[in-house]
Amino acid sequence: MNPGLLKLAVVGSRSAYGRLTGIAGGVAAGVCLLLLLWGGANGLSARDDRGAWLRETGSPSVAASPTEDPTTAGPGAQVPLTADTVLMEANPAEVFRDQLISRRDVAALGSTTVKIPGIGHPPEPGRYYASPALQRLIESTPRDELGDRFGSFAGTIDEAALPGPDSLIVVTGAPEADLRQNGRAFLVSDFTTNAYGGSAAAYNTVLSIGAIAVFFPVLLLISIVTGLGAAQRRERFATLRLIGASPQVVWRIAAVETSVPSLIGAVLGVGLAILLRPAAAQIPVNGTRMFAADLTTGWAAAVVVVAVVFAASALVAAHRTARAGIGPLGVTRAIHEKTPTMWRSMPLFAGLAAMIAAVLMIRVLKVRHWLESPLLIVGFLLILVGIVIIGPWLTRLASRIGLRQARSASAVIAASRMQQTPVATFRSVSGLVIAVFVVSVFAGGSSIIESTEVPPARPGLLQPTSLHATVNAGHTPAQAEDATRKARELSGILSATVGFGPGALSGPDAGPEIYLRAADAPGLGFEDVPATETVAVDASFLYDWTTQPLALSPAPAANLDGMVPVVIVLGTDGTPEAMDRARTLLNNSGVTAHSATSTLDAGLQSSTRLIQGLAVLAYLGMFVAIAIAGLSLAVATASAVLDRKRVLGLMRLMGMPVFVLRRIITREAAVPLLTVLLLSVGLGFLVAWLMVTFIDDTYQMTWPEPGYFMALGLSLLLALGAVTATFGLIRGTSPMTATRFE
Amino acid sequence: MSTNDTAVPILSARGLHHSFGQTEALRGIDLDVHTGEVLAVTGPSGSGKSTLLHCLAGVLVPDGGSVTYRPAELAPMGISSLGEPKRARLRLTDFGFVFQFGQLLPELTAVDNVSIPLLLSGTRRPEAQRRSTELLERLGLEGIGAKLPGELSGGQAQRVAVARALVTSPAVLFADEPTGSLDSLASENVLTLMLDLVREAGTTVVMITHDARTAAYADREVIVRDGAIGAGYRVSA
Repeated sequence: MNPGLLKLAVVGSRSAYGRLTGIAGGVAAGVCLLLLLWGGANGLSARDDRGAWLRETGSPSVAASPTEDPTTAGPGAQVPLTADTVLMEANPAEVFRDQLISRRDVAALGSTTVKIPGIGHPPEPGRYYASPALQRLIESTPRDELGDRFGSFAGTIDEAALPGPDSLIVVTGAPEADLRQNGRAFLVSDFTTNAYGGSAAAYNTVLSIGAIAVFFPVLLLISIVTGLGAAQRRERFATLRLIGASPQVVWRIAAVETSVPSLIGAVLGVGLAILLRPAAAQIPVNGTRMFAADLTTGWAAAVVVVAVVFAASALVAAHRTARAGIGPLGVTRAIHEKTPTMWRSMPLFAGLAAMIAAVLMIRVLKVRHWLESPLLIVGFLLILVGIVIIGPWLTRLASRIGLRQARSASAVIAASRMQQTPVATFRSVSGLVIAVFVVSVFAGGSSIIESTEVPPARPGLLQPTSLHATVNAGHTPAQAEDATRKARELSGILSATVGFGPGALSGPDAGPEIYLRAADAPGLGFEDVPATETVAVDASFLYDWTTQPLALSPAPAANLDGMVPVVIVLGTDGTPEAMDRARTLLNNSGVTAHSATSTLDAGLQSSTRLIQGLAVLAYLGMFVAIAIAGLSLAVATASAVLDRKRVLGLMRLMGMPVFVLRRIITREAAVPLLTVLLLSVGLGFLVAWLMVTFIDDTYQMTWPEPGYFMALGLSLLLALGAVTATFGLIRGTSPMTATRFE
Repeated sequence: MSTNDTAVPILSARGLHHSFGQTEALRGIDLDVHTGEVLAVTGPSGSGKSTLLHCLAGVLVPDGGSVTYRPAELAPMGISSLGEPKRARLRLTDFGFVFQFGQLLPELTAVDNVSIPLLLSGTRRPEAQRRSTELLERLGLEGIGAKLPGELSGGQAQRVAVARALVTSPAVLFADEPTGSLDSLASENVLTLMLDLVREAGTTVVMITHDARTAAYADREVIVRDGAIGAGYRVSA
């Protein structure tokens, strides 16, 4: 091909520079997002890998009882601690303010050969290793609220064993006897590197779907920007054909003029991603930021992305031009789009069928087969593609109804255009429609996390501002009373109550009720207290999931003689400082079997690791999808305005006020958007339910959190903003003289 | 009609100047367009004919000089001093436009294309469609109302454009090479139909053409050369 001709055809006019800059800029934004998301996916994986050691559950520290009958079985023999094992206990409820701290208590022989990730040799009793973020927190907080829980500082945990820079992890040294006391400690000789355990397959399926959901809008953006100014180009190509250029020359020019700015944009996108990586790492995902290095994709990935964008843009541009039917007399098929038919609904229904089949296989037929995950992923992909494919058909249906009802010039023009060019019209809003679908999927999926609600403060229920800890077997009432006496001396502690029973709550002698001194009952929030010295309440009073208020009854015994302390409940003024002082005191008292908990902690602990992963993708997905969709709509609407420069100029010349033109552009975006929006929302929640049921059919989906409705509102605002942004363009690009000169 | 000293001007241009960058398109043109006449503006390519039409119609605001609409009336309207919204309103209610080609909205049917100016003026759609269909029939276009512009022949499309220009009964019709894209037979057909309709309604026509045969249909002809009214001013009887 003649380079001179190529140069003239590609950058032969001033407007060409604007179009090429638009393509390069859009591709740069798309590639940058693509690489950051790719890096993000890598980062999540790397993060989970580094934190895998925290999942280690070791082997029991107590040998199984020789008798089979659990009712007659005595305590099993202790498995001795050796040089190649450490005794470890995972503390499930170490909470500071509203943050969960991963705490591991460790006991080891001096000669131990076991290396703890990020630390090496286990800490001595009374000393601790903390992640840098936790150590900063400890140093900036009064010791009686946090630091006293762990002992003296021995060192920080290395980054190589931390999921992220904000991870709160502590490994404390403890005497072996203390850890063996409640039988929950386990022996560890080596730490696992399997980040997801048995749920890896389900997690990877969800991760794949999340990745597709996030990448799809990015690909859509790149596709939309590379089509910028398509109509203007078609006119130019028709002129080239008229003066003798062959179809091959024309589609080669089309390929070059799209792929060159795409290549420049892709390279710029790589640079931009490198520049923005430190900033992107600051975005907290699932409670912690990422290390900037986690977002690195490597040069190979960057080269692959650049090569794919370059090749794909060239091929797509050449294909589109070849299919446009550009002859010497102009475009033969540009206006007459093939009328969309009902067949366009097939991919969507096929996708739904695939996802439903996957769920039926695993939940109804109880069949475990390698096919389920691919079915779910392919089904999801088909639904995404299906929405884009069915959109024009629905747009055409809506526009036919709209045209029959149209009364104003703007309504007639907009509905007619939509009816004649539903594919082009829907393309403008396809990004936003997909974004709403993706956001609905994520919001539906993550609603199962939000469904764990804290019960309200009511008489007869454990107060949300109180902390409680069960008392270990073998402790005397005096030891428990000593702890409550110390608690009452602390600022912000309003009451301190010891509950009694026939035996420790975790032991075989535990009773169904807890006995209290009647005088202590008001401190627990009870209003109707029987006029006896001691009162009883059902033991379920302590459970997070108890939502019906319980009543006190007179205790069978007049006093608490012969009873053992089973629980300590501290009532606080509800301030975070008082709550954390209460926790620290109870955890250091030496009589409690578990860390102190409050009903507020339930929200921090109920989420499973798998669902947390889903939530990570949810929030990331919402942000990315909506931002990209807004950008896509702005680009697509601008492109549509540029492509109709002559028609818009003609309408203005006829005396059509600019505000009517604005209404036309607004209607053309609003009708397809609103038509498919409801479908997107409904499908989004259906797909979320299928995914959640696929993972575990015990999960319950609920109404999405307010953030979802905010995201939906933001999407519509973005749509409005994107369309409004093109209003200036309407006046600027529709000179009335265009009817003659364009 | 013939032009004489007693004819009432509907448009009056005085000292029109307009430039595109360094190119001076109009160099002090004075011109009166009289009520009900068919005025042909002829001249070679690049002489400034279309710029003159755009200035007269309020599409362009001249760099210098003025254009007055109905200058003889009690409240003459200085078009060139109006803002774009008012000029747009004037174009919608009082002017009609016909161009050489590509002036129909490609996604609208013929009848909807004709209806648009009526809808913009506030006419209800059923009424707009009825009037548009009637006008199309008067232009010999029975049964093509539901067709899209791409499905019409060049002559049919041009007659639809004429119908759209005349549907609001404008006082002035501006036609820029209205038959430039048609063969001689279709050209004659369109011109005859268009001029029959405008003469019947008393509509003034400003028609740009470089075709002598088309200009011959006019009552009067002015020749524009290098942005000025040149010699060869013709008045037909």
